[in-house]
Amino acid sequence: MTEAIRLTDTDPRFVDEIKEAGGENILMCYQCGTCTSSCPVREIDERYDPLKIMRMAVLGMKKEVLSSDIIWLCSRCYACHEHCPQGVGITEVLHAITNIAEREGKEGNIKIKSLKPRLDGVFNDLIRKYGRLFEIKFFVHLVLLSKGATGLLSSAPDGFVMFRKGKLRLLPQKIKGMKQIGRIFKIVEANKK
Amino acid sequence: MKFAYYPGCYLHGSAVEYDMSTRAVCRKLGIELIELDDWNCCGAVEARDSLSIPLSARNLALAEKEGLDIVAPCSVCFHKLSKANKMVKEDEKFRKKINETIDGQYQGRVGVRHLLDIIVNDVGLERISKGVKAPLEGVNAVPYYGCLIVRPSEIAKFDDPEDPQSLDDLIKATGAECLPYSHKVSCCGGGLLANKEDFALEMAKKIIDGAKEGGSNCIVVTCPLCHTMLDFQQSNIESRYGITIDLPALYFTQLLGLALGLGVKELGLDKNMVAPMKLLESICIE
Ligand code: SF4
Ligand code: SF4
Repeated sequence: MTEAIRLTDTDPRFVDEIKEAGGENILMCYQCGTCTSSCPVREIDERYDPLKIMRMAVLGMKKEVLSSDIIWLCSRCYACHEHCPQGVGITEVLHAITNIAEREGKEGNIKIKSLKPRLDGVFNDLIRKYGRLFEIKFFVHLVLLSKGATGLLSSAPDGFVMFRKGKLRLLPQKIKGMKQIGRIFKIVEANKK
Repeated sequence: MKFAYYPGCYLHGSAVEYDMSTRAVCRKLGIELIELDDWNCCGAVEARDSLSIPLSARNLALAEKEGLDIVAPCSVCFHKLSKANKMVKEDEKFRKKINETIDGQYQGRVGVRHLLDIIVNDVGLERISKGVKAPLEGVNAVPYYGCLIVRPSEIAKFDDPEDPQSLDDLIKATGAECLPYSHKVSCCGGGLLANKEDFALEMAKKIIDGAKEGGSNCIVVTCPLCHTMLDFQQSNIESRYGITIDLPALYFTQLLGLALGLGVKELGLDKNMVAPMKLLESICIE
């Protein structure tokens, strides 16, 4: 059974935050449901419903939305985006929502129920360090974070096959323009605050 | 025909067979590829736009200095570079801000193209058909486009987002059979692999099931992330669902290369995780 929404718990400014974080067109939605019926993740799990996430956001249910594990399940396939008759840009709206969740999580206001921000953080750190992805380090971290040491052990044979086929570099490729990369990260991070 | 070649991180590593077959096929077709000097990662599916747009813009600025358009074989790179390009081209104030961030002077003069677009539309099917040395009779392929090569259509631009044709046409030009396929533009699940593996594998399985139901012996792909899901993860799907699949996934450049008479080694066909040996035997290549 669904619980009633208590208006005192909602935050009417949430929608403006989403607009600012890249989901400008969220209020253009007229609730036709095309996005939900286009979504391949929804096909697998009914709990994942892009329209519902947006409706909850518009109603100001900030805490519920941001602390849900569901918002992290978008595969960014843009099927909803392509089919939406209103040009809402749902993929970007959902992205804006996860951006806000990440920020609020860092500030300790909510607890994030997904590994996604940490996994992406590992990726970003490698780019910050080398300018390109150092794949083997990324894979090892991914597997460790998502499956632990036993997971890493069981993926070792695959890793070995890849190495034998010449598909894994053992050393990172660091680019020359690291000054520029450092500058990009510095400015982007300063803007986030 | 000369382009700034943007391989992207995966083609320099786990998708080395895509890099090899891209270079071999382009050489054969007279497309000159100059690898973009000192390119950096586009941000891939992991970085947020706030980061991937300036990262991508640095590459655009490098290409502009060379006076060349960019060709990207990876659909994720193609998407990220095209998106950044569109945004800085359309908004001068934003371009200034990005130039400030990257400490550069990008003017918005570079075009970003997917390799499939260049091969089908610039080289053209007629020239390709003429270059076919060994028509691939016996290959019953399904054309798998995936997401970002066609969507969002205002960014990808070069083919229809619901029922694209360029890969279909290319497969036919190689002499292979191109089977009807309803999963052409479905999502491979790659973006969820690390975060929600069971969903990702179910999504990839649907793509594979669709190919097998149609009687295909080969799935043709245009992106290293799709290839990871359909080739590298295939054994994972087999063990999770207790099934045998054994369906090779070839990059379109590998398929085209075979038809153009290029060698198995040159095309990196020994590097695919699902060995395409049976397929190669069926077209009489050892
Ligand atoms: S498809 Fe667009 S208009 Fe329709 S419900 Fe989804 S977001 Fe709203
Ligand atoms: S972009 Fe996300 S919400 Fe939209 S259809 Fe794809 S998986 Fe679903």
